[in-house]
Amino acid sequence: MPKLIIDDIPVEVAPGTSVLEAARSVGITIPHFCYHPALAIAAACRLCAVKLLDGPVKGIQMSCSLPAQDGMVVSTTDPEALRMRQLVIEWLMMNHPHDCPVCDEGGECLLQDFTIAGGHSRRRYQGKKRTFQNQYLGETIHHEMNRCIECYRCVRFYQDYAGGTDFGVTGSAGRVYFGRFQEGALESPFSGNLVDICPTGVFTDKTGRFRARYWDYEFAPSVCQHCSVGCNTAPQSFQRETIKIVGRRNDQVNGWFICDRARFDKGYLNDPQRPREARLDGATCGYDVAIDAAAKEIDKFVAQNGAESLAFVGSSRLSLEGMTLLAQLARTVDGSRLCYFGNEEELAGSVAAARLLHEKNSAYLGDIEKAECIALYALDLMEEGPMLALAVRKAFLAGAQIYLVDGDPIPARQKLPFTFTAVATLDEVPFEGGGRGVVIAGAGKKDADLLDQLASGGAKLVMLQPGPNAMAGGLLTLEFGGQAFSELASAGKIKGVVCFEADLPDGLIADIEILACADWRTSAAAAKAPVFLPTTTWVESDGTAINYEGRAQRFQRTRVPGLPLRGLDPKYYGSTADAVAEHPPRLHRREVPGGAERDAWRVMAQLIERLGGRTIEEPLTGRWSKLKDLDPEGEGVRVFNLLQGDPRTES
Amino acid sequence: MIPESLKKTLEARVASAITAREAAVDVMKELQAHYGWLTDEAVGEAASLLGLSPLQVEELATFYEMIYRRPVGKKVIHVCDSISCWCVDCEGIIEHLKKKLGVGLGETTADGMFTLLPCCCMGMCGDGPAMSVGDVPYGKLTPELVDEILEMERQKA
Ligand code: SF4
Ligand code: SF4
Ligand code: FES
Ligand code: FES
Repeated sequence: MPKLIIDDIPVEVAPGTSVLEAARSVGITIPHFCYHPALAIAAACRLCAVKLLDGPVKGIQMSCSLPAQDGMVVSTTDPEALRMRQLVIEWLMMNHPHDCPVCDEGGECLLQDFTIAGGHSRRRYQGKKRTFQNQYLGETIHHEMNRCIECYRCVRFYQDYAGGTDFGVTGSAGRVYFGRFQEGALESPFSGNLVDICPTGVFTDKTGRFRARYWDYEFAPSVCQHCSVGCNTAPQSFQRETIKIVGRRNDQVNGWFICDRARFDKGYLNDPQRPREARLDGATCGYDVAIDAAAKEIDKFVAQNGAESLAFVGSSRLSLEGMTLLAQLARTVDGSRLCYFGNEEELAGSVAAARLLHEKNSAYLGDIEKAECIALYALDLMEEGPMLALAVRKAFLAGAQIYLVDGDPIPARQKLPFTFTAVATLDEVPFEGGGRGVVIAGAGKKDADLLDQLASGGAKLVMLQPGPNAMAGGLLTLEFGGQAFSELASAGKIKGVVCFEADLPDGLIADIEILACADWRTSAAAAKAPVFLPTTTWVESDGTAINYEGRAQRFQRTRVPGLPLRGLDPKYYGSTADAVAEHPPRLHRREVPGGAERDAWRVMAQLIERLGGRTIEEPLTGRWSKLKDLDPEGEGVRVFNLLQGDPRTES
Repeated sequence: MIPESLKKTLEARVASAITAREAAVDVMKELQAHYGWLTDEAVGEAASLLGLSPLQVEELATFYEMIYRRPVGKKVIHVCDSISCWCVDCEGIIEHLKKKLGVGLGETTADGMFTLLPCCCMGMCGDGPAMSVGDVPYGKLTPELVDEILEMERQKA
């Protein structure tokens, strides 16, 4: 363990740690551009100079590429090092347009920060600036090449880290250009990370440019709800509109990055057509009126048909809070049924994963990255868990063997960023004693016996779930005995349902009465229900989600519910004419327009109360109560130990 | 489209390399010799021969000084404007070349014979001022010598 001194502070770090990282570990930030903890070292920007006063190396050095060694005495404030950084920044800024006021990166720009930190404030250069043509890079990323300072972070990410081949660096010397061979949409499904990784304004998120400045945004730590990987994100909202979504570091789950689906698929959150008002028989009503009506419908239905022909149906879109209360709601109506899954296959897969996985055999990100042998079991990885493809690539680059077992041919658009051998059965995969082997399967469409078999092999397991919070659905099904909606419906066992953010399979609801529907989306079931209760999406609510590896993560409300200012319905302007829709509201009211949505679990809690159950303040009770204080900024916790004991034997 | 025979030769060259990328410069030079410059089509052909994307070929093509991504004359003149040559008045030589050929840097003569490009050190610093015409290097240039060389190269062509 090298021991060194940085600015008079003794530091001890792991071998291989750079001086820059060693300084960082004691809170000293050395200005840097090309250094990024997730990428290989390039030492391209020459900004991170420090002076070594004593020890094995002397003089001015680049701290990002200098491994810390015993006996080093480092100064980050030495006048010579300061001067060097100042001059480097001046030269990096030589061609940079001084257009911060109109640059969409302004306010969140590393270049601004380190230009000032580097001590460069006055422009001396009088010559012409080098200028470039920008390229059209598709509908999601805007290119502004003049702002480039040649740190090579983008290409190191795009090609080396993410395996993309259509974007890179061309030219040499003062003509170095970062772009594509020809204009056109970036092909990598991880291209959006260019926005986060470029320290300047070369790549900005086209879907949210010039809408707000960094300091205008409402932010909170959140968790992506597009697949069961559960990557950490920070949605940025302004005036009730989610404008950008950026990646948030969690070394246990997603490292630094997120996939493009997570970043750009956000239109549904802001959709002005989202249902936002409670409805009774098609007419807008107060929320409490609708809840009363829902309770009355349920009572009436149970009196007429018996509780066993009623099902409470949720889905993996619900938070853990919503899911646990759904079970309580079903219990309040004694004898009624409970569904977390729309169809049997999904239920079987998720329950099998919940039953089979435990602390030891469940692979997390690090296990995948360090694996020596990985089998992708009949899986469309880019569809079911895109970010894991980057983890597999990391293992692949480190020499791991990758096998695709019994897979369908992978469509070109889903090209995997690593090469693999296709084999017919798992027996052909040479796991050596199971050590550092990982099987990645989708739990959704597999039968339980098969998953049992996968689990018995000794390799670590990933069972990607058929929805963002489906693992919680599986765990709660074990605990409370839920059934699949399709099974109940096709067997004619139920006549009525109350659904919460449920995606009911088409064709099965024709003969079923929908008593009430709570959702943030429109659906066939919602259209059929006499009572409609609008709920909040994951950006407008606090909640907990459990990812494929059994990790519970808390997400926080990132904005208040309500109609985005931009999408206000004309009626809020005191006129029904579309022409005034862009104008500020003319009505005087305290409520946020369209802000009647409630979190699904709160709606359930209110229903429980109306139906004669108890009052619920805290949704996470019993063994789940240990998750009450989960830190949204933390790495999450695996729930296996928390849930110890066989849930089926508990009441 | 390149002829089948050239394609075969290039495939063999790629196959004999440990990594395909290592054969990239050879492949680009051959294609350049065939087309006169490395056309967009040639970039595509190089990419499929090497198993790279066109962008990845472009990365290499635009890095190397001797690969031309725009049409050039029959012979390309690289004239050094780097430090050692500058010390012995390469600027005068460059001015002379421009006047003599009637073109600016980066341009091709009206007869399509020469393209004049500046270059950053040819490794002939001891013999500066230096230039190369086609593949032939020339050092210790004077205006008179330049005239002779141009005449000779024109004859050779
Ligand atoms: S485009 Fe951005 S990330 Fe890429 S080299 Fe330029 S400044 Fe760095
Ligand atoms: S991999 Fe899944 S959880 Fe992660 S960012 Fe992409 S969609 Fe979201
Ligand atoms: S951060 Fe060290 S050279 Fe760029
Ligand atoms: S400086 Fe001209 S050849 Fe080296």
